Amino acid sequence: MWRYFVRRINLFFVTSIVMISVIFFATGMFPVEKGYALSGIQFPTVEQQAQTVEDYNLEDNQLNQFIAYVTQRLSGNLGISVNSQQSVADELSAVLPASFELSLFAGCIAVFFGVPLGVIASLSASKTIQRSILAITLTGYSIPVFWLGLTLALWFGVHLEWLPISGQINLLYEIEPVTGFMLIDTLLSERPYAISAFKDALLHIILPAVTLAVLPFTVVIRITRQAMMTVMTQTYIRAAEARGLNTFRILIRHALPNALIPVLKAFGLMLGSFASYGILVEVIFSWPGVGLWLINGIYQRDYTVIQAGILSVSLLIIFLSIMIDLVHTTINPINRKELYAN
Amino acid sequence: MRVKRERWNPLALLCLLSFLVTACGELNVPSGIVYCSEGNPETFNPQLITSGTTIDATSNQLYNRLIDYNDDSSDYTPALATDWKVSDDGLQYHFTLRQGVQFQYNDLFSPSRNFNADDVIFSFGRIIDVNHSYHLVSRTGYPFFQSIDFANLVTNIEKVNDYEIVFHLAHKDASFLSNLATDFAVILSAEYAMQQLAAGTPENVDYFAIGTGPFYLSEYVKNEYIRFKRNPYYWGDEAKIDMLVFDITRKSEARLAKIITKDCQVSALPKANELTVIKKHKHLEVRTKPGLNVAFWAFNTQKPPLDDARVRHALAHAVDKQNILDVVYHDTAIAASGMLPPASWAYSETEDVNHYDPEEAKRLLKEAGVTNLSFDIWAMPVVRIYNPNAQKTAELIQSDLANIGVTVNIVSYDWSVFTQKLISSDYDSVLIGWNADNTDPDNFFTPLLSCSALESNNNRSRWCSNELDSVLAQAKETLSKPERKALYQQAEKIIHEQVPLVNIAHAQKLLLKNTDINITNVNPYGGMSFSDVELIKEEVQP
Repeated sequence: MWRYFVRRINLFFVTSIVMISVIFFATGMFPVEKGYALSGIQFPTVEQQAQTVEDYNLEDNQLNQFIAYVTQRLSGNLGISVNSQQSVADELSAVLPASFELSLFAGCIAVFFGVPLGVIASLSASKTIQRSILAITLTGYSIPVFWLGLTLALWFGVHLEWLPISGQINLLYEIEPVTGFMLIDTLLSERPYAISAFKDALLHIILPAVTLAVLPFTVVIRITRQAMMTVMTQTYIRAAEARGLNTFRILIRHALPNALIPVLKAFGLMLGSFASYGILVEVIFSWPGVGLWLINGIYQRDYTVIQAGILSVSLLIIFLSIMIDLVHTTINPINRKELYAN
Repeated sequence: MRVKRERWNPLALLCLLSFLVTACGELNVPSGIVYCSEGNPETFNPQLITSGTTIDATSNQLYNRLIDYNDDSSDYTPALATDWKVSDDGLQYHFTLRQGVQFQYNDLFSPSRNFNADDVIFSFGRIIDVNHSYHLVSRTGYPFFQSIDFANLVTNIEKVNDYEIVFHLAHKDASFLSNLATDFAVILSAEYAMQQLAAGTPENVDYFAIGTGPFYLSEYVKNEYIRFKRNPYYWGDEAKIDMLVFDITRKSEARLAKIITKDCQVSALPKANELTVIKKHKHLEVRTKPGLNVAFWAFNTQKPPLDDARVRHALAHAVDKQNILDVVYHDTAIAASGMLPPASWAYSETEDVNHYDPEEAKRLLKEAGVTNLSFDIWAMPVVRIYNPNAQKTAELIQSDLANIGVTVNIVSYDWSVFTQKLISSDYDSVLIGWNADNTDPDNFFTPLLSCSALESNNNRSRWCSNELDSVLAQAKETLSKPERKALYQQAEKIIHEQVPLVNIAHAQKLLLKNTDINITNVNPYGGMSFSDVELIKEEVQP
């Protein structure tokens, strides 16, 4: 087990270094002076210029520059934003939680609704139910997220005027960031309107979260259904039935845990597209997360923001896929057996 | 035990559901107004810029000027100065300052004294004195003041005592008071500036703004919002709302969506083609007022072949303005024949010399010996009051010019990049415009087309004519209105002959708002002011 763990950690570092080097070389190709692209200081004073050259080893060869770049970036120096002249690391830490909040909320929606539907699809004797669930998932899987987002916004926001379609909360509520998760911060707030603010934040998250949830939701249904069908034909399920356990108990206690392992794996594989969908959803619903921040940075030629945005998103994806891989291996008895056999 | 748990599950679900239902009920929203603005301010000091987005977010909200201009009475009204006198030779302006005006405070600064003459000297001193410790803190200079050559106009600002001050001018200037009443001529706190200078962070003064205005700056999050709160120590009539939030929404469609879903109560710059959608929603209304503005297409007259007046004439003749009015403005504007809009007192109706005539355009191009002409048009990426859709305008011009055999490439960048690149003057032509800062006609000429405007990079045509400058100087020294009017007509004529730019349209000032917001006055010039905007409590419908 430990050997496997170490191997995965190695993989994480190697992939990350490759990723950072790609960003490093791309930075060198920005159509501006390198010091400016790295530090974000457009008109440096003499001291600032010297500091940048020293920090990023700009007078040395490419390899040493790269090492200096990695050291700076990993020690948290992401430069300052060209546009706002504020530290990029601060801005990043302000926008990351909003993205986490949205993704977690969407992920929960996908699992809470997807798993039961998948189970129903696998168990139902009725062909109609099975087929309609499959039809729904196929439709959901093939709808482009930008179209879906805009349509939901148009219908539920503009026509029916039920739900807000932009931002995280009505801006008149003044909520101090504690965790960065608006839903939690509103509850922690000591202002008289905290509960109202929470409800408002909840209303604001519904449409973006539903839009973002569609992809994982359909995937979860399909994988759960497939896995359940495989699991339910296993001999231990028949043994459980023979012992006289009721169907519900067999499902919850014996079948589902095994069926969910492939779902976890599917989540790991989905992370990349999930993240890019997340960026689209953030732009459509003006959700103040890392995706919107990155896209705004690109529009505004904010070189330091572009680097930090890509770096953080890709490092997160690499990290999370490897984590999911690890968890998957740890809880999957089949993998465990293979590892012990080694 | 297990049986009990299974019974709890549906109950818990019921709780959650009932909670969600209550969530749709009445919300206890704090009192205030959200304004959907169109972009990030570049700074929080309006002295440093000319962009309307920044003016809207700063000038009338955070600061005051010495005097204000009242549009209804067409006269100046006291602000931080209670009284003023002009000497007989027109060279000395004596101001009596208001007493007991408190500056705002923030985390960095709390004022120890009230507003006095030192603050006025600091605010203007930093602009006119190149050796001032704050002069170079601004990386963008003081474009408005440079464009009217303020530094050479004001020779000295003399402090008589703490509440009396005299401006000494080098020559007579009929537009001096108007210029002091513009959104740019705000008063900063000298005490704050000195404290920040001592701390080694002078740039904070322009970013974490301290003024005397009806609101103070509470929070700014780039790309997201600016939060203002009512200044409880305001010297004038207190603002009627507790909080003012600028929701930064760059896309016009998004602003429209937000005001429909009531995320905003007031929205900037609706596009003309959105007006039909707005009419369908009963809680929305549009306020219009003829604006003091002009949209134009400026040629970089330093770049061949656009340095040839014949070529510029030809291009001017090739543009079908009526088509642009129909497609881009949807009849919310009138065609511009000159710089001055009909709302200005110096306007007089004249025929458009450079009217639409493609044949004439072809002939002029041939005469100038220019063939296969190809150049760039820079189109603003943002909606401005004078042009709701510069991209579309550029496309229409592109097709008009294709008719006379001229190829045009449309270029655009994000607004902040766009304005920076304009300064480096590496463009062929640009679609931009001007929204007047005050009602003085000079405001349409000197800041845009004078030689001093060229130095301050505000002269988009990069064109400098001594003939125009002398007419403008003469007009400034004349105090009689009819005489000035004649001189500005002369200036219009020079521009018609030289065509440094093609005037396209004068747009109406549009403001989109919720019906439960009461906005008493919309200025035809300058930026938004929220100090007397009111929130009407929704009445219970029977």
